[in-house]
Amino acid sequence: MGKVAAKMKVMPQSPEIDLDDLQERLENALPEGAKISRVDREDVAFGLIALFPTVIIPDEAGGTETIEDAFSGVDGVESVGVDEVGRI
Amino acid sequence: MSDIPHQNLAVIGHVDHGKSTMVGRLLFETGSVPEHVIEQYREEAEEKGKGGFEFAYVMDNLAEERERGVTIDIAHQEFDTEEYNFTIVDCPGHRDFVKNMITGASQADNAVLVVAADDGVQPQTQEHVFLARTLGIDELIVAVNKMDLVDYDESKYKTVVEEVKQLLQQVRFNVDDAEFIPTSAFEGDNVSEDSENTPWYDGPSLLDALNNLPEPQPPTDAPLRLPIQDVYTISGIGTVPVGRVETGILNTGENVSFQPSDVSGEVKTVEMHHEEVPKAEPGDNVGFNVRGVGKDDIRRGDVCGPAEEPPTVAETFQAQVVVMQHPSVITAGYTPVFHAHTAQVACTIESIDKKIDPSSGEVAEENPDFIQSGDAAVVTVRPQKPLSIESSNEIPELGSFAIRDMGQTVAAGKVLSVNER
Repeated sequence: MGKVAAKMKVMPQSPEIDLDDLQERLENALPEGAKISRVDREDVAFGLIALFPTVIIPDEAGGTETIEDAFSGVDGVESVGVDEVGRI
Repeated sequence: MSDIPHQNLAVIGHVDHGKSTMVGRLLFETGSVPEHVIEQYREEAEEKGKGGFEFAYVMDNLAEERERGVTIDIAHQEFDTEEYNFTIVDCPGHRDFVKNMITGASQADNAVLVVAADDGVQPQTQEHVFLARTLGIDELIVAVNKMDLVDYDESKYKTVVEEVKQLLQQVRFNVDDAEFIPTSAFEGDNVSEDSENTPWYDGPSLLDALNNLPEPQPPTDAPLRLPIQDVYTISGIGTVPVGRVETGILNTGENVSFQPSDVSGEVKTVEMHHEEVPKAEPGDNVGFNVRGVGKDDIRRGDVCGPAEEPPTVAETFQAQVVVMQHPSVITAGYTPVFHAHTAQVACTIESIDKKIDPSSGEVAEENPDFIQSGDAAVVTVRPQKPLSIESSNEIPELGSFAIRDMGQTVAAGKVLSVNER
């Protein structure tokens, strides 16, 4: 069925969180079968920076819930959302 | 970024009907495939002494390249026509991604439905068309694809067109507005130029049809609706809610109300990309500071709107839903989790009011005892916790939802009317 790219939006708990460390913790939290192909950053407001890891998952794996759950449990994460999904 | 207007385009349809090939073909024909991908192929072809140009090869290379993360926007692709800058999304096949299509950042303005000429309407075609309707897509271009596999047979084309028309009527798409085009994404027929293989067809090519789409109007005339994603306390600033403007305009100095938390205050500063801005428009991701609102007063799932036109809070609401997958049957009293904008709230389906007959679009049964996978129905819903949601007739951006239960997306729908709290 092909692969799906999901651009996740991860907000840190505060502007003080070290984003390099957070990025590494996200990598380590990935469920099996998923991989991060790139991570973008975007300045939001008042010093807050959002991380946008693009995660590649098989279409048949069905949905982004496992990734959302895995990222939500990572230390320093305030919230996890899915910005965009599309087949690649 | 070009000056031409922008369109978000969804490519929908059964996964085996050539959607990805169509996306690749559109990129190729509009010169949007990176030059080095084409060059790389040319070199390899010359080495092997092969001439010509294999489109399929370019497709493979593109996918590989994107997976490696070379492209910035992997989930979506872009191409320009004379009229528009298109962002195109190839919709995943699995139903669980439906939630993302509803709560995601960029909702599609229009859609291309791909149906294979040799396979016709399939269950996934049906599901995607219904979802397109739920997601508020008005204009549909129907590519009857893989015409090369049926020897460009006009009667085969007409049969599929009739099947699709029936399907569109069921979900009340205006069939007269839909454009039908016989295509072969693989061979390139009727994608950018009229094909010699279909002399019996005198309509536009796919690219012409895309150019003819009406220009989407950003929902700036609607009242402000800004679903809150997170709430922070920033030292020296105070409480900072963060979110994306869905409709209307957020202005500094304006009195805003957060619902359902039911607190209000004056917007002091708005920041976007770490810079102070006087106002924010639909699609803008912002953080802002509101006088008199504390961190514990508001939360994720609240919607911010003008104090004089506050976001609607539902006591109950009536909605049209389609059941996509459910192991048994859904009866009154069923309480799954509704995902709407940034809110996730358990809601009880209080009554099943009507079941819609998929073959006619008419009411098949009043007050049915149950509905199951594949059914479309009108239901009355009671949120178990306060929920801000809008009628999709008034503010479509805040009027659709996905229903999840047991780790999967069981249904999707749109709000028909809200009984305010």
